[in-house]
Amino acid sequence: MSESNSAPLTAQGLWHTYEGRTALRGVDFKVEAGSVLGLIGRNGAGKSTLIRALLGLLVPSSGGALVLGEPALQLTDRVKERLAYVPQQPEAFPWLTATQMLAFVGRFFPRWDDAFVRATLSRWDIPTGRPLAKLSPGERQRVELIRALACRPDVLVLDEPAAALDPVARRELLREVALRAGEDGCTVLFSTHIVSDLERVASQIALLHAGQLLLHCALDDTKERYARLWLPSRHAAAAPDAPVSRRVHSDGSLTLVVGRGARGDWPAAVQLDGARLDALGLEDLFVEIAA
Amino acid sequence: MLNIQPSAPEPIYRQILEQLRRLIAAGQLAEGEPLPSVREVAVMHAVNPMTVSRAYGLAEAEGLLKRLRGKGMVVAAQSGRTRSQSERLALLEPLLLALSRQVQELELPADLVLRRLGKLLGE
Repeated sequence: MSESNSAPLTAQGLWHTYEGRTALRGVDFKVEAGSVLGLIGRNGAGKSTLIRALLGLLVPSSGGALVLGEPALQLTDRVKERLAYVPQQPEAFPWLTATQMLAFVGRFFPRWDDAFVRATLSRWDIPTGRPLAKLSPGERQRVELIRALACRPDVLVLDEPAAALDPVARRELLREVALRAGEDGCTVLFSTHIVSDLERVASQIALLHAGQLLLHCALDDTKERYARLWLPSRHAAAAPDAPVSRRVHSDGSLTLVVGRGARGDWPAAVQLDGARLDALGLEDLFVEIAA
Repeated sequence: MLNIQPSAPEPIYRQILEQLRRLIAAGQLAEGEPLPSVREVAVMHAVNPMTVSRAYGLAEAEGLLKRLRGKGMVVAAQSGRTRSQSERLALLEPLLLALSRQVQELELPADLVLRRLGKLLGE
C-alpha cells in the first residue's frame, strides 16, 4: 500500500507491560488522514502509553505501529519533519527562553512558520525573556503548542494538551486545531479527559479503558447510534444481548448502553412497557462505559 | 446567528441544520441573504469546519441554501412561498414530544402547563 492511501497513524496488536502492569491489551486502530481523533479514557487507562507506542517513543511488549507508512521505531527524518508531538509534561530545554528554544528547534523544520511564532507568542502572552524553567505550567504548555504548530505538521499529536490551560487558552487551542485539520488537512490525535473539548473539534473518538479500545467511531455516531436504555427489574430477562455497557441497580433494574442495528433500528426491548430510552451526550456515554 | 451547544445529545451538524430550517421557515433569513462562511462559523464557535460544511451541505441538498460562485452560501428561494403553518408546526414536534414527556414525569396537570406556556407566548 502506498503512503498516500494509508492511515497516517496505525497501531497493530499493541501490548505493553511494564513493572508488572499491563497498560495496553491488544490495541488495533487507525487515525485516518485529515481526521481529528479524540482519545478519551480515565486516568491510568493507558492513553499516554498508547501515544508513546504509536510514535515509537517506547518499545511495546508486542505489536507495532506505523507513522506515515514507516515503522514507528525506525522513523526517518523525512517523516519526523512532518510530525509534531506535545507530551503531557514538556521538559525540554529548561535553560533556554521561549524565543531561543523556538529559534533553535525551527532550524530542523523546512516548513517552519516564523510569522506564526511571533504572532502567537504575543497573542498568548508568553514571557519571552525568562528561561522556560521559570514559566508557569500553562505558559510552558503554550510554548510547546506553538512549537508543534509552527512546524506546519501533517500529523499533530497532543497528549492532554488542555490540562494546564485556562478556558480562554483552551478555546484558542481548539480553534487552531480545528482549522489546521479542516483547512490544511492535518491529521490530529489528541488525548483528554475533558470531554467537552472533544465535542467541539473531534471528528472521531476512541475510548480506551483498562488498556483496551472499547469504542472507536465518528463523534456524531456516538450521539446518533448509541443511547441509554433503562429497564425495570421485571423486564431484566428481556435485556438485549451484548450491550456496550451494563449496570444492575440495587432494585434489579438495569441501565444499558445500546446501539442501533444494521438497519438503524433499536433493540426490541426499547418497546417494553416501562422501558425508557434516552439520548446520550459524550460525557454520559464515557461515564456509562468507563465507570 | 447560530447557537451551538457541543455537549447537547444532538450532534453539532444537526443543531446547525435544525436552526437553519427554523430561521428560514420563519422568514428570519430571507431569500438571497448570505450565510457566514464555514470558516467564520468554525472560528467563532471553535468547532471543526468539516462539521459546519456537513450541515451546509445537507441544507443545500434540502433546498434551504444554494451556493453562489464567489459569494458562498445564500438562502435559496423557498419554492415561491413561505412554508405553511402546519409545516412550521412540524418543526416543533421533537420539542413538544420532549416537553410532554417531562410534564408527565413531573405529574403536572396539563392546564397548568398550558397556562404558563400561554403566558410565555404573550397571550
